[in-house]
Amino acid sequence: MDFFVQIIVSGLTFGSMYALAAVGLALVWGAFNMLNMSHGIIMTLGAYFALLWAELLGWPLILAAPFSLVCGGLVGAIVYFLSAHWMIKQKNFEVTIIIATFGLGMAIESGLLKFLREMFRTAPYSQPLSLGAKSFLIFDVPVSYQRLVIWTAAFVLITIVGIFLRRTSVGRAIRATAQDRNAARLMGVPVRRVYVLVLAIASGLAAVSGIMLSSFKDVHPLMGGDPMLKAFIVIVLAGLGNITGALYAALLVGLVEASVKVLLADKYGFTAILILVILALIWKPSGIFGRATVARQ
Amino acid sequence: MADALLRVEDLHAGYEGQNVLKNISFEVPDGSLVTLLGPNGHGKTTMLRCISGLIKPTQGRIEFDGKRIDGMEAERIVARGVVMIPQGDMLFPEMSVYDNLRMGAYLKKANAAFERNVEEIYTLLPRLKERTSQLARTLSGGERRMLAIGRGLLAGGRILMLDEPSLGLAPIVIDQIYDIIRDLKSQGRTLLLVEENASRIIDLAEQIHLIDTGNIVWSGGGEELQSNPQVLETYLGG
Repeated sequence: MDFFVQIIVSGLTFGSMYALAAVGLALVWGAFNMLNMSHGIIMTLGAYFALLWAELLGWPLILAAPFSLVCGGLVGAIVYFLSAHWMIKQKNFEVTIIIATFGLGMAIESGLLKFLREMFRTAPYSQPLSLGAKSFLIFDVPVSYQRLVIWTAAFVLITIVGIFLRRTSVGRAIRATAQDRNAARLMGVPVRRVYVLVLAIASGLAAVSGIMLSSFKDVHPLMGGDPMLKAFIVIVLAGLGNITGALYAALLVGLVEASVKVLLADKYGFTAILILVILALIWKPSGIFGRATVARQ
Repeated sequence: MADALLRVEDLHAGYEGQNVLKNISFEVPDGSLVTLLGPNGHGKTTMLRCISGLIKPTQGRIEFDGKRIDGMEAERIVARGVVMIPQGDMLFPEMSVYDNLRMGAYLKKANAAFERNVEEIYTLLPRLKERTSQLARTLSGGERRMLAIGRGLLAGGRILMLDEPSLGLAPIVIDQIYDIIRDLKSQGRTLLLVEENASRIIDLAEQIHLIDTGNIVWSGGGEELQSNPQVLETYLGG
């Protein structure tokens, strides 16, 4: 029973974090076929923004996450104007944007490494969402309240995004753009503004995901790389561009990873995820929840 | 004509440096139905895509209501009142019929009038009312075309451009679609219609322009065309 609870707790925690990162990736891919390779560095920046707010400025911890979300959104908009805005009409946009955002991410990462590595090397900042060391017991397994905060935050944010997409006029315009960009333009949707907005939302979510990550890892310029990779694995597993699918796939990946880590050993976690993806893609090449048609009109 | 709502002058356009349209000029007067007639693959669709801003002309000018619109983004052109109902419908497949209609009224002014206008659409196209919550991709061909027309009408444009509204439909459904077009015409709407089949529009259009290999080769009224079998035979195979 202990094992079981541990797996669920840890799986849901990592799953929540992956979900926030992957939903954003899926949203951006769905809206304009952009695979954003700077997503990871935005997660990193999210953790730094929270750090800046709470540690350096000493402002209330509870507002660090909203601050980071907004800053992350701004960074997303900047990424758009530094890359996609100039490239969207190119023929090989899907490929060139990967290279462009990869480069952009590297540049930001190098900047962080140059200026911030020294600064925080000796100041590991492990619990920005910390609620002290308080915890509660589920079947004798201690679960920190912080986990609860992570689950709730992920659930609330993803629900808000879902309602926004389904129920608002702007959300409808985003879905319309994703389904047929030219048709959306013929309805009067300013698609470029939609792209900026989508990238901003995705990046805001990534930033919050970065804060969650920083609650069990040190804040470091390279911290976003590994979870970004996993978020990519999640959206491939779900079927590119499928947002609801990304949520379920993220939880699945989190739980599989946690199971293997608890039952076998830490080092097999990533291997298990990769095996899961390979098997899933053999079974359904377009992803578990994917449709076969993934192409830009 | 001074009161032309839409005026196309000396237009050249195409894809990847190849001009599909050459030296096209025509006008659509307010409240009239003008048809671009001609076989497939001769530039009629390119013409509409040009007017609606999906592609940019390489030369020439397009004026709507006295103002130049060529070179503008598609989303700006529709805001001025130029609405296209595209070939192949271009619906939002994963959205419900209702959400598709909502998207038609995306623009601020159209959105404000949506509740009232959508009732009109349901009267004109009752089939849509029965299927409001159904996903667009599950509709039949005829229903899709009706949804595309309904969505276009909700944009509240001053000119409606229909690209081959009969394409790919069964004859009985084509009749229904043309009944709708007749209705729209009798409401006094300005329509620009692209069609391949002369018999469908010959008694409907005020002005017909025959397009062949990217040029307007003949222009005139429906009756004129009817009494000119040589033109019909040469360009439309009888």
